[in-house]
Amino acid sequence: MEILEWIKLITGGAFLLCGLLIFLIELYGIFHLGYVLNRMHAAAMGDTLGISFSLIGLMIFTGLNFTTLKMGLIVIFLWFASPVSSHLLARLEVSTNENLENHCKVYENLEELEAELKQERIDEEKEAGGEEV
Amino acid sequence: METIYQGMYITVLIILALMLFACLIRAVKGPRIADRIVAVNMMGTMVMVMIAVLSLMLKEGFLVDICLIYAMVSFLAVIVISKVYIGVYEEKRHNHESKNKEIDVKGEETHGNT
Repeated sequence: MEILEWIKLITGGAFLLCGLLIFLIELYGIFHLGYVLNRMHAAAMGDTLGISFSLIGLMIFTGLNFTTLKMGLIVIFLWFASPVSSHLLARLEVSTNENLENHCKVYENLEELEAELKQERIDEEKEAGGEEV
Repeated sequence: METIYQGMYITVLIILALMLFACLIRAVKGPRIADRIVAVNMMGTMVMVMIAVLSLMLKEGFLVDICLIYAMVSFLAVIVISKVYIGVYEEKRHNHESKNKEIDVKGEETHGNT
């Protein structure tokens, strides 16, 4: 029984530590990246993966009871809520920033982007074919 | 065993509190409004983990319910703030454009008269 307790402590602690590490990486990303649309990428990681790892660690600590179910519910709710809020924030940024062209390339209509992507794919295939020959 | 758990919980809480301060710095520094909202959203996630750890530390199960409600409220806050801000911005731009048009029309009239 003593061994089982120790296994619980070590696995739970490892998960909790992983969660904290991911939060730390998220913080590094949010200070390192230069623009909001890039920073959002780092911030979304902690919303899903960081809190999932931390709460899985806490679930292992509590054992199987009603608290575990509630923690699982929090994780599942955040999986649904985080992409929606990220999407809305990106829309807020794109629709209110007047000089967006300074930070990223803006396509007015979608056909231009699709044509450019198709051209890039053709070029890549040509290069790959050339290497094979 | 109990003392190990308590020490671990307190360490985790202290680390999370330090990270929360770093998030606060980002929220104060952020040049654009989306930056601030992203930082506040991140702070909400960290506070959720803190409440969950606290519920195990104090052995009070109901604190996890508070954590769930906190998640819902912070999600709602982000949606409401971004929608309201987009609305205010569009309204302001609309007013600005209509004012510019009026000035243009007046200028053309005076030109025509002279």
